[in-house]
Amino acid sequence: MALIDLRDVSKSYRRDALEIPVLNGVTITVPAGDFMGLMGPSGSGKSTLLNLLAGIDRPTRGSIRVADTEISSLSERALAGWRARHIGFIFQLYNLIPVLTAFENVELPLLLTSLSKKQRRDHVMTALGIVGLGDREKHYPRQLSGGQEQRVAIARAIVTDPTLLLADEPTGDLDARSAGEVLTLLQRLNREYNKTIVMVTHDPHAAERAVHVLHLEKGTLVEQVESRA
Amino acid sequence: MKFARLVLKSARRSKRRTALTILSVAIAVFLFASLRAVLDGFSAVAEASSSTRVVTIRSTSMIFNMPTSHADVIRGIPGVQDVTWANWFGGIYKDPKNFFGQFGIDAESYLRMYPEILVSPGEKRAFLEDRTGALVGDGLVRKYGWHVGDRIVIQPGIPYYGTQDYTFTIRGVYRSGASNVDNQTFLFHWKYLDERAGGAGQVGWYVTQLRNPDDAARIAMVIDQKFANSPYETKTDTEKQFSAQFASMLGNLNLLLGSVALAVVITTLFVAGNTMAMSVRERTTEIAVMRTLGYPASTIFLLVVGEGLMVAIVGGAIGAGLARLVINGEYLGMAGGFIPAFGVNNWNVVVGLGLSVLIGILAAMIPATMASRLKIVDALRRVA
Ligand SMILES: Nc1ncnc2c1ncn2[C@@H]1O[C@H](COP(=O)(O)OP(=O)(O)OP(=O)(O)O)[C@@H](O)[C@H]1O
Ligand SMILES: [Mg+2]
Repeated sequence: MALIDLRDVSKSYRRDALEIPVLNGVTITVPAGDFMGLMGPSGSGKSTLLNLLAGIDRPTRGSIRVADTEISSLSERALAGWRARHIGFIFQLYNLIPVLTAFENVELPLLLTSLSKKQRRDHVMTALGIVGLGDREKHYPRQLSGGQEQRVAIARAIVTDPTLLLADEPTGDLDARSAGEVLTLLQRLNREYNKTIVMVTHDPHAAERAVHVLHLEKGTLVEQVESRA
Repeated sequence: MKFARLVLKSARRSKRRTALTILSVAIAVFLFASLRAVLDGFSAVAEASSSTRVVTIRSTSMIFNMPTSHADVIRGIPGVQDVTWANWFGGIYKDPKNFFGQFGIDAESYLRMYPEILVSPGEKRAFLEDRTGALVGDGLVRKYGWHVGDRIVIQPGIPYYGTQDYTFTIRGVYRSGASNVDNQTFLFHWKYLDERAGGAGQVGWYVTQLRNPDDAARIAMVIDQKFANSPYETKTDTEKQFSAQFASMLGNLNLLLGSVALAVVITTLFVAGNTMAMSVRERTTEIAVMRTLGYPASTIFLLVVGEGLMVAIVGGAIGAGLARLVINGEYLGMAGGFIPAFGVNNWNVVVGLGLSVLIGILAAMIPATMASRLKIVDALRRVA
C-alpha cells in the first residue's frame, strides 16, 4: 500500500497579478519503507514539492494523501498536530536553535507530547545514540562541526519516530566526508529502522544512495523511477 | 512547566537588550509604586481626620498666639464637648537638620481628645506627672535611638521662648493609631512652656471636640463670631473641611501623577514592545523551524507572551522591590511633623507587579501576533 499518494498536484505562486506555475499536475506514489531521491535543476520545484508533503505549504490543486490522511484539507491547527506526529524534517542549513544544547534541540518536538521528563530524556538519548552523538548532548550548535550539526538535526527529526522523513538537500552544505556520513546514516535509518525517506538533492552521489530517484523539471516529472533495489 | 527553559533561554539570547527592557520596566514600576505611595499617604490623612474636631487659629496666622481665656469662652458654647490647646515650639535638637514637630500640649485634655495617640497607661501617667516630661512618637525613637528616661535637650527656635535650652525627660513612647497622627512628633507640657515664657498664657491653636459632627460648620462660625472685633480674632475650620480642601487639591494631584504614570507606562510599552518585535524578527527562521516541527501557531504566540511576561515581571520585581526598600517617608525624614510618614507598602508592591504583568502582556501582543502569523515557507526561504 502506498504511504504517499500525490494525485495531479499543482502549485502556483502569485506575484502581483502574475500567476507563476511551479508544479504542474504531479502524480507520485511512494510505498512505505522507500528511500526516494528527488532530483532536478534549480527552480524546478523540488523544495516546493517537499514542503507540500511536509504539510507546511498547500497545493493549488490536487490531492495529497499521506498515511491515508488527505492533508490538503486539514485545518492549520490540525495540520500542525499532524506534522508533529508524522513528519521529521531535515533542512539544508540544519536550522538548530543556537541557544539550545544538542539535547534541548532534539527534545524540542517532544515538548509537544505528553511524555514525562524521564521518558523525553530516554527518547532524546536514544536518538542522539543512533546518530552517534550520545556524548555531545551538552554541546551548543556553535560547538559542533557542520556534519555533527546535521546529525543532531536528524536526531531531532527522528526523535518522535515519525511516519515520514523529509530532507531538503541535507548534504548541500557539507564537505564530502560529512556528507558521506549523513547519507550513510539516512540509509541506515531506511534499512534498519524501515523509515520512509524522501530526499531532495542536487548531488548525483547523494542520489545514488536512494532506492528510487525521481526527476523533476519545470514542475513536471520527466522520467519515472530508476530502481536500484 | 516544560517550556519555561525554552522561554528563559530565548530571553537570554540578547543579554543587553533584555537587560535594557528589564531596566525600563523597573523604572516605570518604581515610579508608579512611589507615586501611589505618596497619594495613598495623602488620602489616608484626609480620610482619617475627624469630623467632630474643629481647629481654631488666629485669623491672621498660625504663628500669632491667643490668650488662654479663649478656652473658657469656647467651652461655654452649646454643642461643645471638650477643648484642648497646643503651641508650636520649633526648637532645634542638636542640629537644625533634625526637623520634627514639637508641640507643647495641654496634656490631659489633648490625650483625651486624641485617642489615636496610643500610649500605655503606665507611661501616660508618668508623662502626666512630670512637668518636664515628654511623650514621643515611636518613629522618632527609632530614628534617634532614644529610650524612656533619656534626657533630651532642645534649643528654642522662636525668641518668645527665650534663649535657654529646654531639657525634657522622655516618659513615654506613643504609637499612631490613625494616619492623621504622625509618629514623629515630640509632645510635652504646655504648662512648662508657659512657665518658661513668663506665664503669659499664650496659645497657638485650640482644638474643640463637638458632640455632633453635623454641627461643625455652625459651631465653627459661632466660635469665630465670639472673638470677632476683639484683638484676637480667630479662624476656625473642621479637620474635615481642611481635608476637603486638601482632597480637591489631591484630585488634581491624582490626575497629574496619574498622567505622569500613564506616560511612563506607555513609553515603556513602546520600548519593550519594539525590543521584542526586533528579537522576534531576528528569530523568523527559528520560529518557522518550530512550526515545521509541529508547534501550533497558538503555542508560538504563548511562548512569545511568556517571554515578555518573564522579562517584565523581573523588571517589575526589581522596581517594586527597590521602591519598597528606598521609598520610606520615615527613613527619608520627609514627614517633619505635619504629614504622617508615608512609604511604599506591600499593596503598592502588589499593584506595581500587576502593572508589570500588564506591560509584559501588552508589549508582547504585536510581536506574538507577528510570530504566530508568519508563513512557514516564506520564512524558511528568506534566509536559505
Ligand atoms: N513563496 C514563493 N513565492 C513566489 N515564488 C516562489 C515561492 N516559492 C518558490 N517560488 C518559485 O518556485 C520555483 C521553484 O522553487 P523551489 O524552491 O521549489 O525550487 P527548487 O527546485 O527547490 O530549487 P533549488 O534547487 O534552487 O532549491 C522557483 O522559481 C521559485 O522562485
Ligand atoms: Mg530547493
